[in-house]
Amino acid sequence: MTNCIEIRGLVKEYKPFTLGPIDLTVPGGSILGLIGENGAGKTTLIKSMLGIVKPSGGEVTLLGNHPDHAKEDIGVVMDDCFFSEYLRVRDVNSVLSHVYKDWDKGLFSDYLDKFGLAGAKNIKELSRGMRMKLSLAAALAHRPRLLLLDEATAGLDPVVRDEILDEFLAFVSDDDHAILISSHITSDLEKAADYIAYLHEGKLLMCDEKDRLLESYGRLVCTKADLEQVDRGYIVSTRKSQYSAEALIRHKSDFKRLYPRLAVEPVTLDELMVFVVKGEKA
Amino acid sequence: MTGLMLKDLLILRKNMRTYLLFIILYGGLAATGVWSPEFVGGFIMVLTAILPMNVFAYDKQAKWDTYGLALPVGRTKTVAARYAVLLLLCLFGVLLECAIGVAMIAMGKLEEPGTYLATCTVCGLIAALTNAVLLPFLYKFGPEQARIALFVLMGFIVLLGVLFLGPLGGAEWLESLGEPTPAQIASIPFIAAIVGVVLLAVSFLLSRHFYGTKDV
Repeated sequence: MTNCIEIRGLVKEYKPFTLGPIDLTVPGGSILGLIGENGAGKTTLIKSMLGIVKPSGGEVTLLGNHPDHAKEDIGVVMDDCFFSEYLRVRDVNSVLSHVYKDWDKGLFSDYLDKFGLAGAKNIKELSRGMRMKLSLAAALAHRPRLLLLDEATAGLDPVVRDEILDEFLAFVSDDDHAILISSHITSDLEKAADYIAYLHEGKLLMCDEKDRLLESYGRLVCTKADLEQVDRGYIVSTRKSQYSAEALIRHKSDFKRLYPRLAVEPVTLDELMVFVVKGEKA
Repeated sequence: MTGLMLKDLLILRKNMRTYLLFIILYGGLAATGVWSPEFVGGFIMVLTAILPMNVFAYDKQAKWDTYGLALPVGRTKTVAARYAVLLLLCLFGVLLECAIGVAMIAMGKLEEPGTYLATCTVCGLIAALTNAVLLPFLYKFGPEQARIALFVLMGFIVLLGVLFLGPLGGAEWLESLGEPTPAQIASIPFIAAIVGVVLLAVSFLLSRHFYGTKDV
């Protein structure tokens, strides 16, 4: 299995914000979910990978090539539809068929059918969700090997999101394909992602297999007094209320063996983020 | 690159349709003798000068640049596509003016076709010159600030014209040159074309430099 994305020491400086240094690898046949609060650097990372913004340092290899030489095989969906309201849906087919060598007009029409956009004429008349579907159809119709998706499922209803996630899962059934998707809808990532990378204030805090990440971290719910007795080495961060306390703990299985009396619940990606951002560091 | 050119032209489709209606209306007024044919020619070139700026504004509205740079086109070809569209528009404008000129000749409304053609090409040059100056600004600062730059530039040109014709004695100098010969009039379109192309080439290099280093 080859790596579809390899990032080494990527840095982008927007004073006072600095993204990186980021090291990231996404193997073929997998989906990497990129999470992080607003302004954490997710979009900047994707833009830097594509050369839309010039990285201040580091190296990006996409599909074994420099990004500029890989773009024919990359499908991109950003957090908005970038097609002008003055265009018609069928114009997108005409324009992009002159941009991508492998553009498949029939496949684009098939996706429009699939996404319920077949009858749509003017982009101006499309809702946000429909525009995102149009962007997805445009990202898939040249049969890419790598999809870079920035909040691509935002604004879509759960049924359509589910259909699209199934589409993504089918896409990565080929070991030659991969997806990097940034999303605030962490339930989507819990369903589809193989790997999770967590960006916080421009730094990559966690990057691991999703299952391992969710298995190794847990949410401890206890009294403040109990929390005081816990070895600080296990605690990532804590949140305290008047009567109780919660803590994000690492090495969950070891912790459970050591403290069998304390209740440790599975943690979700949402909780993980909230603990890191809002919790008190141990 | 052709895809990006097609995108620009498709975006301008509605604008061009509206402008065409105005041109037909003004052409009709010129045919009835209300306006001179040269005025219609000037109007076409003003529109040609404005259209590329509209594309930048529409692109900004749709945040196209971010997506455009994710396409397998490259920054140089992206800029080249925009200049090719500009040249196409200038060419279309000149051809449209020629068509109006031919119609006027057929109706007996145009007595000096040579002067009309020279006026048209000078208008074409002005459209090319305006965009040659404007496009690097558009790439560097975006449509809002570039629009201000256009107004400043136009004001500067008018001021220079007033100074030249007035205090600097340009009017007398022009009068001393006498009537241009037919050969001189005939050479204007070629000189205008060469000057336009040179200016656009310099402008393209500047735009490419600005866009090449820009974070979108």
